[in-house]
Amino acid sequence: MPAKLGRGAISSSSSEAGLAYLLLAPVIILVGGLILVPVFGTLTLSFFRDVSFLPPVKFIGLANYRRLLSDPNFWYSAFVTVMFALVAVFFETVLGLFYALVINEKFRLRGIMRAVVLIPWAIPTIVSAKIWQLMYNFNYGLLNYLFVHFHLSSHPVNWLGTPLSAFTSIVVSDVWKTAPFMAILFLAGLQSIPAALYEAAMVDGASMFQRFWNITLPMLRPIIVIALIFRTIDSLRIFDLIYVLTGGGPAGSTTSISVYGFKLYILGDFGYGSAVSVFTFVLILLFTIMYLKMGRFQEGMKH
Amino acid sequence: MREQKKKKLLVWIGAIVIAFICLSPFIWMLAVSFAERPDFLASAETPYVFTLQNYRQIIGTKDLHVMDYFKNSLVVAFVVTVLAVTIASFAGYAVSRMRFRGKMVIILGVLAVSMFPQISIVGYLFKLMTTLRWINTYKALIFPYVAWVMPISLWILISYFMQLPMDLDEAAMVDGANRIQALIKIILPLSAPGIFSTSLLVFISAFNEFMFALMLTTDYHARTIPVGIALFEGLHGQIPWGQMMASSAIASIPLVILTLIFQRYIVQGLTAGALKE
Repeated sequence: MPAKLGRGAISSSSSEAGLAYLLLAPVIILVGGLILVPVFGTLTLSFFRDVSFLPPVKFIGLANYRRLLSDPNFWYSAFVTVMFALVAVFFETVLGLFYALVINEKFRLRGIMRAVVLIPWAIPTIVSAKIWQLMYNFNYGLLNYLFVHFHLSSHPVNWLGTPLSAFTSIVVSDVWKTAPFMAILFLAGLQSIPAALYEAAMVDGASMFQRFWNITLPMLRPIIVIALIFRTIDSLRIFDLIYVLTGGGPAGSTTSISVYGFKLYILGDFGYGSAVSVFTFVLILLFTIMYLKMGRFQEGMKH
Repeated sequence: MREQKKKKLLVWIGAIVIAFICLSPFIWMLAVSFAERPDFLASAETPYVFTLQNYRQIIGTKDLHVMDYFKNSLVVAFVVTVLAVTIASFAGYAVSRMRFRGKMVIILGVLAVSMFPQISIVGYLFKLMTTLRWINTYKALIFPYVAWVMPISLWILISYFMQLPMDLDEAAMVDGANRIQALIKIILPLSAPGIFSTSLLVFISAFNEFMFALMLTTDYHARTIPVGIALFEGLHGQIPWGQMMASSAIASIPLVILTLIFQRYIVQGLTAGALKE
């Protein structure tokens, strides 16, 4: 018996690695073949003129990127995307924190409220885009009905009709859909704050708001930073909601870079569309690095 | 004590505001789906009339294909969930419990992949699927989806596997079990909650996916319900809001019910996916 055990132990080091690679093989093949290869494929395509109805495909070096640099529609969509990410993520964080603070309290409906908060998260994005599109309807949408009846506005608002109101409408729908995700993360954070901290503060006579500013917010900060990174990365690739809610309109004013790139693909311009896609990725990378740097900077400040 | 009362009042007001924000769009969807005409708010001459006709039409009219889209979504999401969770369990086990070279490269590689926007691969995928003649088939969606959900699946599963004591499978192996047996008989049963959380999140994200499905399907043979709803035209021009909201209700109710019943697992999955360092 001991002899057998010994042999097993010796062979395990080499065969163990073999088995590990075998277990990992499907992941490597799938992620490699269907994500990494396409990403490099997109990068390669961005150096070609590849328009479906204008063959042949031709290597044109950096021409697509030169076109990108001088394309005002592209820069406008990059601007819209960054503005959207900043504004939407800010309001998501605030609303998510509000949700989390309420459902963290012990009160009779807490269980039900935790479920209620998850409903917007559970609804498919496309469905929520359609629901909001109908709510924003000029003639018979719920929002104009409420606005006019509660005298918030003397006349119906053309929500999706002007660039600024369409942008606002997108932000509102997005915040509605994603604040629950923030709330869940923040709730986990709130639950990990030791109750003793609050008790001590109460003995010292700190008010509810002082406790929030001096205990809750600082203790939540690490989670807020993580949530901001997650949601910013996600917002910079916004596609589904805009594509369905406004289609990028009116007159292209709410076109995000993903929507812009997708429309190029639909038109059959794969070369230029790929250059736009590469830029989208670079933009996300820049934001991620910036956030990580800021995170480290804060760490540095503490010590 | 006055503050205690004030806080209680604030919490109740907060709860009412949250319920209003979260529920009113959902209730609005249901209200329109059961309305004879969608413009019942327009004036007093268009009262609300309850009807089941929208549901009857989308279920009964074959040419609208809503039920085909729904079926496609269920099939694709189900197959993706089974494949992704199986593959990720094997890989997660290897990463969390076995020693081999290049482990960090593989983990970091898979996680870095989650930063890519969908737009950066959808054009190439379209060309690839066209070459393979896979456009408008389940395969064209299933394989990219499995790859796409891999980072989050691995992330959650690894964090669960790491919580289990290392001597568990070593003890099993001393008793003569091999690695695969240790995984199937000991680790998997003990991580059932983590596997369930992962399955729910994978199912929901596969069911909801839009961009790939929009690009890679062309009709009811493979088109999923989000694309079907986005491109919904009805049969006679004019936006058929009633039918669209009824389709939306059919598409979201399974997910809403899953979420409400398995709330705890979803919350665990989401926080494990985000908060593990």
